[in-house]
Amino acid sequence: MDFLKSIAIAASGLKAQAGRMRVIAENLANADSTAATPGAEPYRRKIVTFKSEVDRALEAQTVALGRIQTDPSDFRLRHEPGHPAADANGNVKYPNVNSLVEMTDLREAQRSYEANINIIGASRRMIQRTIEILKS
Amino acid sequence: MTLRDTTLAITDLPLFAMLRTRMNWHQERQRLLAENVANADTPNFRPHDLAPLQMDRTQMQFASLTLERTEVGHIASSDGASGRFAMSRPGNYETRLTGNAVNIEDEMIKVAANQMDYQAATTLYTRSLGLIKAAIGKS
Repeated sequence: MDFLKSIAIAASGLKAQAGRMRVIAENLANADSTAATPGAEPYRRKIVTFKSEVDRALEAQTVALGRIQTDPSDFRLRHEPGHPAADANGNVKYPNVNSLVEMTDLREAQRSYEANINIIGASRRMIQRTIEILKS
Repeated sequence: MTLRDTTLAITDLPLFAMLRTRMNWHQERQRLLAENVANADTPNFRPHDLAPLQMDRTQMQFASLTLERTEVGHIASSDGASGRFAMSRPGNYETRLTGNAVNIEDEMIKVAANQMDYQAATTLYTRSLGLIKAAIGKS
């Protein structure tokens, strides 16, 4: 039944968006995770990638999370001489996570997630309509 | 030829056949729309849509529709059940930096329209069945 295919495709979208939210949550939670020693690097922001894959069983293009990559941009420097991770100048490297960017990304993920839920709802109602033919 | 010699299934009636084609079309469209929404954040993905269903005389004579593979990556369908309708790619006015051209709002509107049209088709189907039942006195 094709409607079940639609639901399966939307479910792949849900899974991918949920994975994206997981990575965003990881970034936000670690927004202030500095290193413990002066030389070490703090937490580096992670970025999800999406890739479209052809599902042979469904005969459709589903979506999946690609490799999770790291953001190569510079760390934030903050002057905190007393910090255990401070270098010779008293600067501490903070993660390259910008909460605002993460929150925006989170909203977008949420919006896409809801769109997929909408698809599932619509497909389900269409299945119900089909079943109602039998009841008549 | 008497009636006893020919068995006429309900699905052979042109009206039902047309409604069935229509419902298949909506089913297929729903799958494509689901694909579009699922890939709303996939780089370089372009949305697909079905070409509008046209009920002309040739199709009403139950000529089986053949699959159109408009792209190399398309999978040939094993039977006529899926992928029988021509796909169209509408020119989109919004393409984001990633090269993705899916507009979620547009897709939501299409899904809603698709669902309502499907509902109309199933209701018509139910009504037509009711008519036949009334005709044979089993309402």
